[in-house]
Amino acid sequence: MKVEAKGIKYSVSSKSKSKTYTYTKSQKLFQRALKVIPCGIPGHFSPAPFVPPTMYPFYAERSKGSHFWDIDGNEFIDYMCAYGPIVLGYNHPQVEKAAQEQNSKGNCMTAPGKIMVDLAEYLTDTIAMADWAFFAKNGGDVTNLAVMIARAATGRKKIVMIKGGYHGVAPWMQGYGHYGVIEEDVANIITIDWNNVKQFEEVIAANPGAIAGFIATPYHHPTFADSEFPADGYWQRIRELCTQHGIVLIIDDVRCGFRLDIRGSAEYFGFKPDLACYCKAIANGHPISALVGVDALKTVAAKVFYTGSYWYQAAPMAAALATLKELRRINAPVLLNKIGKKLFEGMKKICASYGYELKITGAYSMPFVRITNDPSNMLHQEWCAECTARGAYFTSHHNWFVCAAVSDKDIQKTWNIVDDVCKLLKKKYGDKY
Amino acid sequence: MDYEFIKSRLHLYAVLQNIEDLVQYDDVAKNLIKDWNIIVKFSVRKAGSVYLIFENGKCTVRELSPKKPDVILFFTSPAHLNKMFDGKANPIPLKGITKLGFLTKKFPKLTERLEYYLKPDEQKLKDKNYVTINTVMTLNTALYALKELLLFDPIGEHAAKKVKGSMVMMNVNKGPAAYIEQKGNTFEVHKGYAQQPLAVLEFTSIKIANDFLNGKMDAFSAIASGAVATKGHIEWLDAVSPVLDRVALYLS
Repeated sequence: MKVEAKGIKYSVSSKSKSKTYTYTKSQKLFQRALKVIPCGIPGHFSPAPFVPPTMYPFYAERSKGSHFWDIDGNEFIDYMCAYGPIVLGYNHPQVEKAAQEQNSKGNCMTAPGKIMVDLAEYLTDTIAMADWAFFAKNGGDVTNLAVMIARAATGRKKIVMIKGGYHGVAPWMQGYGHYGVIEEDVANIITIDWNNVKQFEEVIAANPGAIAGFIATPYHHPTFADSEFPADGYWQRIRELCTQHGIVLIIDDVRCGFRLDIRGSAEYFGFKPDLACYCKAIANGHPISALVGVDALKTVAAKVFYTGSYWYQAAPMAAALATLKELRRINAPVLLNKIGKKLFEGMKKICASYGYELKITGAYSMPFVRITNDPSNMLHQEWCAECTARGAYFTSHHNWFVCAAVSDKDIQKTWNIVDDVCKLLKKKYGDKY
Repeated sequence: MDYEFIKSRLHLYAVLQNIEDLVQYDDVAKNLIKDWNIIVKFSVRKAGSVYLIFENGKCTVRELSPKKPDVILFFTSPAHLNKMFDGKANPIPLKGITKLGFLTKKFPKLTERLEYYLKPDEQKLKDKNYVTINTVMTLNTALYALKELLLFDPIGEHAAKKVKGSMVMMNVNKGPAAYIEQKGNTFEVHKGYAQQPLAVLEFTSIKIANDFLNGKMDAFSAIASGAVATKGHIEWLDAVSPVLDRVALYLS
């Protein structure tokens, strides 16, 4: 997917003078939270990566479509989509109706609902490589299961992954040096650079008959850095090597899933993995993840004992089925990338008119967006914070997400905010950047 | 690298450099050294050496000295130096026997003063001036220790791979500052403000800095509440955060 596009038209309102938000209630609630919750808001929702955090809302009150409102009553056009799960827009009527109907019939029960089979059939019909499906809750549940299956299938220990790749929070995924991770947790993890087939070949040669699996995202989308697509022929060569050496090829499609290709992101890049992991967009915000696999691994998958108290909840499965049907009906990946292309190419032109280069990498449906003029990133961080405090929710450390509910009105408002903030920064810094 | 080695490197290169600031900010120490014109070398077998250069009422601590030392204090091993810092061993004076008076009477008064500032307690922390000096020293110690840990500590070595080309500054708003930058295969630490820092950890006040650096404040909470500001390449701050936490494993 090329990021350069022609024919994008944009306009900004000359009357636009967006006001900045305040977050009194968010800050007050956060002080209460600090007393009873470690670091107030733990994990990827922690405000710590925001620069500065005081220009961001900490707590949401409600959401609808492409917007959410914080507890101070500030309204945001949401370009993080809950860090990916929201793909159709918040509170999508068909999805919510399906979830509520199933919930009223039964959700967490002593046996799985019929819906689990319906969903597995629909998911395997949707994702090109999938012959079977296994459901859990979070992305990390299924990336971990994928690695267990790879080890069980091959009788080998080692897993190859990409430096900077994110697959969840289990110790082996986080890497040595992170709090609570010991050397033994990563003793069988080998990391190599993205897009580097030669390194993979070297690792295979150095560990003959020892590598169980190779796990990577369809394209590289690390935090704090530009996204990178695979080089021509990269995945095809990786596939060849995995097949040749009996290595299970695992795709972590948790973030990209249904945002590049409805049939799975591997189809988009023209290869067939052995296992593929899904979460985020699969149920438009309802808690469910899925591991899908090829027939050859079904018997081994059946032998790996892996479960959780809430993994059989029927309502999220109903939500997932409704979401997948809607994603297919609207051909979501095409639509999301069309919306994203219009939005981001317009933003690029606005920034350029002030002398700022807005670099957009990755898919338009979930790009990493960055103003490049300042090597320290401080200008970019300030730009994101000022836009957020005016109602366009941008983060500086993570890729953004576009949902299908983003309207032309949202795009126009976002452009106006971007224009206001660029003007502000230009006035503040002149030609420094 | 083993624990004693790393600990001795921290003592040599992260703790002793505080004498520079001690004689600058503490009137008692300043008065003690005002007439000193002497170079003292700490030499630790299999760990390294450092020169304390006293002249013109100032002290500079360097790995290399423009002149030969007047006094050499030798330590037979990293553990020997560490024991001295715990008050359980004495150095071997290899040179400067004629300056025994200096070594046994004058110099210990200075190191006692250093210890006074490096070991805070609730009573001492009621004194604003003490808090300021302790903060300056703790901040500098943190960055000099960070350098050693990035080079030799197992978790530090791992983090070092993630901070290629980095430059991280820690400062108190309108107050003391120091920064560390990666250069070639090593790191350099500088006291004062960087001209164009690439990553910044800024404390809003001396008190906040003191609480944060002495482990009395959770980093995430401090950042989220705005008491501590981070900006620039905050991924580098993330990478070195677990390493900074390890300073206490060696020096507490």
